[in-house]
Amino acid sequence: MKEKPATVFVVDDDEAVRTSLRLLLKSVGLPVETYAAAQEFLDQFDPDRAGCLVLDIRMPGISGLELQQHLNDQHSIMPIVFITGHGDVPMAVEAMQAGAVDFIQKPFRDQDLIDRINRALEKDREMRNALRERDEIRRRMSQLTPREREVLELVTQGKANKVIAGDLNVSQRTVEIHRARVMEKMGANSLAHLVRMVIEAHRDG
Amino acid sequence: MSPPTRTGGPDSIPSVAELELRAVLDAAVDGVIVIDAGGTIETFSGAAERLFGYTSAEIVGRNVSVLMPEPFRSQHDGYLHHHIRTGEQRIIGKGREVVAQRRDGTLFPVFLSVGRIAKIDPPRFVGLISDISDRKRVVEALRRERDRAQAYLDLAEVTLLALDSNGTISLVNRKGCEVLGWPEDELVGRNWFATCLPPELRPEVQSMFDRFFSGTASPAHYAEHEVLTRSGERKLIAWRNVVLRDERGLINGTLSSGEDVTEQRRAIEALQKSEQLLRDAQSIANLGNYEIHLQNGRMSWSMQLHSILGTDPEYGPLQVREFVERCVHPDDRERLLAAWNRLTEDKEPMDVEYRIRRPDGSIRHVHSIARLTQDAEGHDQVVGTLHDITERKHTQEEVRQTQQRLTQFARLSTMGEMAAGLAHEINQPLTAIANYSQALQRLLAAPSAADPADVQMALSQISAQALRAGEVIRRLRSFVKNREARTEVIDPGRLIADLMVFAEPDARVNDIRIRVEHEAALPQVACDPVQIQQVLLNLIRNAIDATNEAEAAHREIGLRARLDESGAIEISVEDHGIGISPQVAENLGNPFYTTKSSGTGLGIAISRSILRAHGGRLAHRPTPDGGATVFFTLPAMQGSEK
Repeated sequence: MKEKPATVFVVDDDEAVRTSLRLLLKSVGLPVETYAAAQEFLDQFDPDRAGCLVLDIRMPGISGLELQQHLNDQHSIMPIVFITGHGDVPMAVEAMQAGAVDFIQKPFRDQDLIDRINRALEKDREMRNALRERDEIRRRMSQLTPREREVLELVTQGKANKVIAGDLNVSQRTVEIHRARVMEKMGANSLAHLVRMVIEAHRDG
Repeated sequence: MSPPTRTGGPDSIPSVAELELRAVLDAAVDGVIVIDAGGTIETFSGAAERLFGYTSAEIVGRNVSVLMPEPFRSQHDGYLHHHIRTGEQRIIGKGREVVAQRRDGTLFPVFLSVGRIAKIDPPRFVGLISDISDRKRVVEALRRERDRAQAYLDLAEVTLLALDSNGTISLVNRKGCEVLGWPEDELVGRNWFATCLPPELRPEVQSMFDRFFSGTASPAHYAEHEVLTRSGERKLIAWRNVVLRDERGLINGTLSSGEDVTEQRRAIEALQKSEQLLRDAQSIANLGNYEIHLQNGRMSWSMQLHSILGTDPEYGPLQVREFVERCVHPDDRERLLAAWNRLTEDKEPMDVEYRIRRPDGSIRHVHSIARLTQDAEGHDQVVGTLHDITERKHTQEEVRQTQQRLTQFARLSTMGEMAAGLAHEINQPLTAIANYSQALQRLLAAPSAADPADVQMALSQISAQALRAGEVIRRLRSFVKNREARTEVIDPGRLIADLMVFAEPDARVNDIRIRVEHEAALPQVACDPVQIQQVLLNLIRNAIDATNEAEAAHREIGLRARLDESGAIEISVEDHGIGISPQVAENLGNPFYTTKSSGTGLGIAISRSILRAHGGRLAHRPTPDGGATVFFTLPAMQGSEK
């Protein structure tokens, strides 16, 4: 994992709005990077960097919605807070359907924006944690032997050791040993925990 | 008895009777000649000697025919023989004018009386001869005088008529005959009253004549009455009458001169009628007129002028200064006086509209036209009309106000369509201001953490952004404000730049770019900038809608100003949208015709009327690579290139 702190990326074509946002976020101690156009942001985009995106929904060239689409295509998980103008509700709805975290209508109270940004950062953190957890599960799963993987599969299907022994045509004791090895390798402390990890590992993304 | 002779021989002593006769003959003024039956002269008096230039001695014994010219000379013997043979008397006892010949051959008129001396045989004749040369000359002069008088009478273009005491026509001249339709010889001798007067006038005119004769009417009496011509036509004659008196001073007739005033009277009546018509027309048209004589200040005002001004006709016309002070609205006085001065000093025709304040305080709008002319003596006078155009003004004002309301309505509705873009434009600075000020609050809450440069920047940005928002609002207000049209001289580039404040955000929210192109050195235009911007904004709105409707990939609108071939400024809006179909083109500019679901159908109609008022026009052509280019022209100001 990178060491860079979670950053607020601001993309707005209006210099005054952009600069004022930078100062505002700086004043609450949030690291900020600002971009005047969507393309500028895309050019330096690193999916591994933590943070959130504050995005003007209307911009010349690549619009806010189009940038969101680009990021979705790249499986970005970066949460987006859209800044909308008066009468942009239909666009905001579209943005939310496409996975935006939130939107805020201009002009706004600083606390409202900061709250939304904090929520977005929190979500980013959660997402990144979840990802890290899944990667860990998948790494652990990759360390299982083929037989252990078979046992894991059957255990998480809810089958009893005796049934598994019959399916695999091995002794019940052998199943118990494999099962203990799986629990140990996966770091599971209960069957329920193991099941959750398997579900997590199979999730897309 | 021997004939008396002065040439008797010495032996013949004259008798006393002969001497007495001789004395009588010599004393007579008329010449006396005695001849015998053969025509031989026996006696030739002293007066005869003087008349004919012969002495008695040389003529006695010669034939009397030597005293007359041919052909009488040759025929005289014949006359004499004829008389003696037949006793027929052609000349004897009558006397007549004949021509005589002097000794020197010259001829002269004489009055000849011939007598035959009675009771002697053969007969002898005595002739008395008086020279009538003088009388002849006098008579001739009189005749010429009379002819001349007649010629005068006939030349006179008035009827001259003399009546005797019975009313009988004794003289009428050529003109009189012409007027009355009678030949002179038929008219003279007729009774004037019976012949030439309409029956109903006879008693009255007759009694007037009777008063002349009784001497109770003035000698130079003027009268006007109709006469009857031979054909029964009536003519109006203006008569001047004088009485004629005989040598004893008694009135024995009248002499009248009459002028046929029928035409004149008709002309006067026609004039009166046309004056009445003029008065009626002025009253209907609310048009008054006046004349002012500049030298002597004399004026005349029509009745209608008084009625427009609400002034008292009894008081009469007002002097110019008095008029201005009493009748003209104070705000318009200076303007009117300036026009008056230009009229009277520079002879520049006056054509001004101003307001009249009537004595009752009501206001009338008038249109005054006047020019300088010269009267018959060549003096300057002002002739002018004053037209009350109050009603027209009110109507114009209503039309203008309606037009203005409509224009503003269209402006508001265009602005309504652009609301999203404008809201964005105002929200941007407001957002920035909010951000800066909130950042400042946080920074100042922890002063140690605050970078003074940040604080400085935030503060200056707050004011800059507040001004930016204010500017947008100011422009918006001035654009949608219900306002009077006013003309400014402005650079077309500036016009477009100012407009972009509204157009750009609108285009941006529609994801459309506006590309502005104009030549650097364009002449200026005189226009109402708000109205022209309204036209342009309307065209840009339409271009945005056309681009959206076509879902055009080429999302760009071209906004161009250039000098066209005719030297006018052309401003065009070029889009790549759906274009203008022939059916739409046909209805373009019809009020309330719209292709938009929420359009008013007024945009183009009002744009057209705005441009018409500016002397420009609106037209369209296809954009070469698809879409429509709508453009308009404005007259360029000459020599105003920057």
